[in-house]
Amino acid sequence: MLKIKNLKADIESKSILNNFNLEIKPGEVHAIMGPNGSGKSTLSNILSGKKGYDISGEILFENKNLFELETEERAHKGIFLAFQYPLEIPGVNTNIFLKTSLNAIRKARGEKELDAIEFLKLVKLKAKELKFDEEKLNRQLNVGFSGGEKKKNEILQMSILNPKLSILDETDSGLDIDALKIVADGVNSLRKKDNSFLIITHYQRLLDYIKPDYVHVLMKGKIIKSGGAELALELENKGYENFN
Amino acid sequence: MREKEIDKLKDYKYGFTTDIENVRAPKGLNKEVIEYISKAKKEPNWMLDWRMKAFERLKILKEPNWQKPKYPKIDYQDIYYYSAPKSASEKPKSIDELDPKLLDTYKKLGIPLQEQQRLNGIAVDAVFDSVSVATTFKDKLNEVGVIFCPISEAIQKHPELVKKYLGSVIPLTDHYFATLNSAVFTDGSFVYIPPGVRCPMELSTYFRINASQTGQFERTLIIADKGSYVSYLEGCTAPMRDENQLHAANVELVALDNAEIKYSTVQNWYPGDENGKGGIYNFVTKRGLCKGINSKISWTQVETGSAITWKYPSCVLQGDNSIGEFYSIAITNNYQKADTGTKMIHLGKNTRSKIISKGISAGFSDMTYRGLVDISSKAKNSRNYTQCDSLLMGNKCGAHTVPYIKNKNPESNIAHEATTSKISEEQLHYCQQRGLNPEEAVGLIVNGFCKEVLQQLPMEFAVEAQKLVGISLEGSVG
Amino acid sequence: MIEQLKIDFEKLIKNSNFSKKNVEIKRKSFHNFIEKGFPNRREENWKFSDLNQIISKNIKNLSFYNDLSKPNKIDQSIFIDGLEHNKLVFVNGRIEKIEFDYEEKNKIEILDDLVLEKSNDDNNSLLSLNNAFVSKYFKLIVKKNYSLQKPLVIYNITNKDLVSKSINLKVDIFLEENSSLKLVDFSDDKSNTNFINVNYSFDLQKYSILKNYKIDNNSNNNIKYYFNYISQEINSVSEIFLLSSGSEFIKNEINCNLRGKYSSAFVNGIFILNKKKHHEIKTNINHLVENTKSYQLIKGVLEDTSKAVYQGKIFVDSKAQRTNGYQLSKAILLNDNTEFNAKPELEIYADDVKCSHGSASGSLNEDSIFYLMSRGLNYNEAKKLLINGFLLDVVEKITDSEIKNLIKNIMSLKQ
Repeated sequence: MLKIKNLKADIESKSILNNFNLEIKPGEVHAIMGPNGSGKSTLSNILSGKKGYDISGEILFENKNLFELETEERAHKGIFLAFQYPLEIPGVNTNIFLKTSLNAIRKARGEKELDAIEFLKLVKLKAKELKFDEEKLNRQLNVGFSGGEKKKNEILQMSILNPKLSILDETDSGLDIDALKIVADGVNSLRKKDNSFLIITHYQRLLDYIKPDYVHVLMKGKIIKSGGAELALELENKGYENFN
Repeated sequence: MREKEIDKLKDYKYGFTTDIENVRAPKGLNKEVIEYISKAKKEPNWMLDWRMKAFERLKILKEPNWQKPKYPKIDYQDIYYYSAPKSASEKPKSIDELDPKLLDTYKKLGIPLQEQQRLNGIAVDAVFDSVSVATTFKDKLNEVGVIFCPISEAIQKHPELVKKYLGSVIPLTDHYFATLNSAVFTDGSFVYIPPGVRCPMELSTYFRINASQTGQFERTLIIADKGSYVSYLEGCTAPMRDENQLHAANVELVALDNAEIKYSTVQNWYPGDENGKGGIYNFVTKRGLCKGINSKISWTQVETGSAITWKYPSCVLQGDNSIGEFYSIAITNNYQKADTGTKMIHLGKNTRSKIISKGISAGFSDMTYRGLVDISSKAKNSRNYTQCDSLLMGNKCGAHTVPYIKNKNPESNIAHEATTSKISEEQLHYCQQRGLNPEEAVGLIVNGFCKEVLQQLPMEFAVEAQKLVGISLEGSVG
Repeated sequence: MIEQLKIDFEKLIKNSNFSKKNVEIKRKSFHNFIEKGFPNRREENWKFSDLNQIISKNIKNLSFYNDLSKPNKIDQSIFIDGLEHNKLVFVNGRIEKIEFDYEEKNKIEILDDLVLEKSNDDNNSLLSLNNAFVSKYFKLIVKKNYSLQKPLVIYNITNKDLVSKSINLKVDIFLEENSSLKLVDFSDDKSNTNFINVNYSFDLQKYSILKNYKIDNNSNNNIKYYFNYISQEINSVSEIFLLSSGSEFIKNEINCNLRGKYSSAFVNGIFILNKKKHHEIKTNINHLVENTKSYQLIKGVLEDTSKAVYQGKIFVDSKAQRTNGYQLSKAILLNDNTEFNAKPELEIYADDVKCSHGSASGSLNEDSIFYLMSRGLNYNEAKKLLINGFLLDVVEKITDSEIKNLIKNIMSLKQ
């Protein structure tokens, strides 16, 4: 599904990612763990098409060159990024935002756009599954939401948009244990043989609830070790400092 | 790289011209032309005298020059002050007799006039160049005593009301453009809501400039008698032309005791092309008088058109407990310029005013909010709240906020807030990651920015306005 | 008045020893003033304060020639107590004392024989008047890397001998790289109905710091205009504080130009006005390059029939990305006939900026007074406490603790 070959990324001639390689097959869950400044967020930014990086190498998504696609076209193809810091957009109603984005994606895929009633039905269902307070959906997007609510809102969006590849950028940071469980349940319910996940995190605790197929350790812009779920525990015990 | 969709900009939807035979007054501004207009409108002598008084006054007035957008000198002798479709020179008795070309024009503008296609719940007065060509739902309104007709008709049929209120809010000596309008105004709408009547439908005037080298000088007068309510909408468009055309209207509102007037404008005059050639000069004087106690006047405007917009819909809060409101969205793109805002003059006790202004500038355009809040020493216990937000797109445009705040009353409070911001790269990225293209994303964010104002518009207009907000900014994101 | 002006101007030229070049410039400025006269409300800048009218109403037979041949006595009791400081003393417009006892002599330079530059604002007739009639023009240079040990107080004193005169002072302050100066402007007036026109120019080279505290607290019926031009290079900081209270009329105009990256400007001001006093603060903060910052906080308490005006403008050039500009003005009106006018203005040509302004005026919060009274204070005590609290927040912005305390004492504010 996703193939990253020899990815190199610089920002203002500072090297962030270097010789980065990764392959994710349909249905797999990969976790990337790394300390602050290892290049985790840069990876999610580049996958989603954020501008401002000097990039070389290759990224293929379902055998298409990702660099030829604009951010929204990547979204249409099924890439979803749960942001580390979800943005506030004043004045824009959350429901309207969700409907606009769902229909933009459906339209691009040649599917029928949902009308208001169909959409509300879908949202109600998903919100209930994720124990998301429906009343919040009538508020301005992320404005006045707590950190946890913002993250849950990302997962709600993910479950409504039903992407092929979901990238969770430190979705666990700032979540209490209850919220963490809800987020994990949301992810697990989306796990199907065609859907893949890339979970980017600093800590191991989210991986207690979402069991990854592969764990990669990212240091100084490079994957230095890959392994199964047990690698995360080893990392937690040793700490990044002593790990090598 | 994404191609800019500049092409779309050329696509001013209302830029077509109607090929129709006109009757015109000779070019130029003089006594004879004013007499011509007055005669064409079959006006009584007192009206001609009034016009002449304004004309005399005009001779000693100078054009104001304190506004930010400067414009080339206007040659007032090189303008036609009166232009009417020949077929309308004798006003048709019914809409069915109207020139099909005119019917077609309004249909194309989305304002069907024929009985069977009329917009639900909205009565329309259609003004084409210098004359009102049709007014719909007149009979239905008559049943409840609401007078809704062209002002030229009101001058003949309701002289006592016109005499009493015309110029009572904007004196004919007010300032250059208001005085010019008083001398040469051609048509516009007249509304009278009798005591205690809640007008059963929205009233609307649709202004269309068609003829070239012609100025439009309409005059609107709305009187809400004691305890009445009316919501009035104004829309405007013009063909695309290389020349600049002058539109200098006067709008006067009078609200008596316990009456309320809600006045909404969606202004979409031709803004000129992407190089700033052509477009309308929209120099309009709009003022409302809250004459009675507990009266309320609320202005809502969405200004997206015109080469230069220069207007300050204002409220004079004379009656105790009266309320003035101003909600505005102004968008400039390419080389458009706008200097707009409001004046809230608090004279009565316990008066309240609220100003919400949202300015968006893109391209090479320039936007100024200019406003006055004046609380006189007699206006005890009065309040004003003002919020002015500007959004800039790119660093070739400008945003200017110039509020004048005068408080002479210790028991009154004025609060003013202003911010300037931009659409952040992060917000755009976030929306794009959710599948929106950059223009949809900008449209969404800008509509969010404008929400408080859009909410004030009647439903039928709000949808239109939201679309307009998106279209106006096309080509402004790279 | 024009006749008087012409006579006085010729008298000045005749009795002074100006260089040929200076005379030439003075004539030019003089003609500019004759042409424009005192500003009136038709000029946007003077919309809320018609100086022409204020002068003609308050000063009879204004004359422009001031004989500076004889020294004036300095009333020592005026000097600020309990603060070690350097002194520059003007009495009736004549320099009477220059004393830098606390400083290294070669780190400071004072020039007084300067060629006038062309007035830096031809549209400002008061600068032309100043240029034409100023007799000695001072320039203080603080050398590279030097910070003055003690504050400098510039005393601007007038005594009873001075009546219906126009006094013009011009001082330039040049802070070389990485230098710093604390400057207090202190005025004391026992004179009557004069027009005092002061033209300051501050040049802040990179990494330099200026702190300027302007204190006009003693009641007098003079009319004053202070023009402050500030130019700032990279990483320089200016901090201006104004206590605007004593004079019949005073307008402080601050024109600050942030020309170097990371430079910042702070303007904080307080109006405390009674009787029929009319004061104005007008600021123009020009953000000309990226990453500059400005902050303005102005508060006023108005009594009797007094009037305060704040016109504050933030200008952001299209090059000045990542500008931060903030402005807030608030006033409490205590009487029926007081008036507060504000024109907080933003003019912005760059999109990546954070700018905001706010303005509020109104009465004291009666609920707060009630609350305090329920705790045992009487009405006047409660009122005073609330006003002090309202103003204190501006005084707290002063970064020099010694001078902060001095100003608190002057305003008799309790902590």
